[in-house]
Amino acid sequence: MNWLVRALAPRATAHAHCDIPCGVYDPQQARIEAESCYRIIQKYHDSTDELFRARCINVKEERAELAKHHIDVMWHDYFKPEHLEKCPTLHETCWKAAKQASLVKRSLDVAEAQKLLDLIDKIDMMWRETGGPAATRMQPMQPMAS
Amino acid sequence: MEPTLRDGDWLLVDPAAHAQRAPKMGDLVVARDPRAPERLIVKRVAGVAADGLRLAGDHPAHADDAGLIGPLDPTLVIGQPWLRYWPPRRIGRV
Repeated sequence: MNWLVRALAPRATAHAHCDIPCGVYDPQQARIEAESCYRIIQKYHDSTDELFRARCINVKEERAELAKHHIDVMWHDYFKPEHLEKCPTLHETCWKAAKQASLVKRSLDVAEAQKLLDLIDKIDMMWRETGGPAATRMQPMQPMAS
Repeated sequence: MEPTLRDGDWLLVDPAAHAQRAPKMGDLVVARDPRAPERLIVKRVAGVAADGLRLAGDHPAHADDAGLIGPLDPTLVIGQPWLRYWPPRRIGRV
């Protein structure tokens, strides 16, 4: 069969994509957006100013959408099939986190925002377990000892 | 190029497709990437302008490909894909 596959295999490869994955991934991007949601929900409940509260809702919806985007980037771009062996709950966790981000987008319950943070932290653990920090992040400059 | 093409599709490309006529809007083409001529790209002709062809992907997320690639000299087109012969489930004209 191998000779047949070799005979039929294409002679050249044509690329359809122009974007180049930067290869930099970190669940903290999602976490910062989810923390924003958490704090904005708190600010919403602490305020009686209707205009301010309306703006809180706008910003929170925007941030929740960004959190979902960053979760999707981890799920679709960072994690590879071989990571599944190490983290069998990977798909379920990413799926739940993306759904939770959608829920936070339409909710004003700080407990829902906390659930989103917890799920992103689980993704963060999987990122660490699969060697994410060394493989995908550049090392920041260390502060000099005085 | 989804949904027309998927990653890993094997295609037959007709190198003589544009011997008699210039590529026209809507044609699927394989061309040399003007930014890196050793690299081949597969795209759809989204427009024909005085300075060259405008190429785009079929996937809406890559609709701005023309801006990235820039106008393409029609002589860089090396053929037109016409048949997908792998995977077996998706064999057919493209």
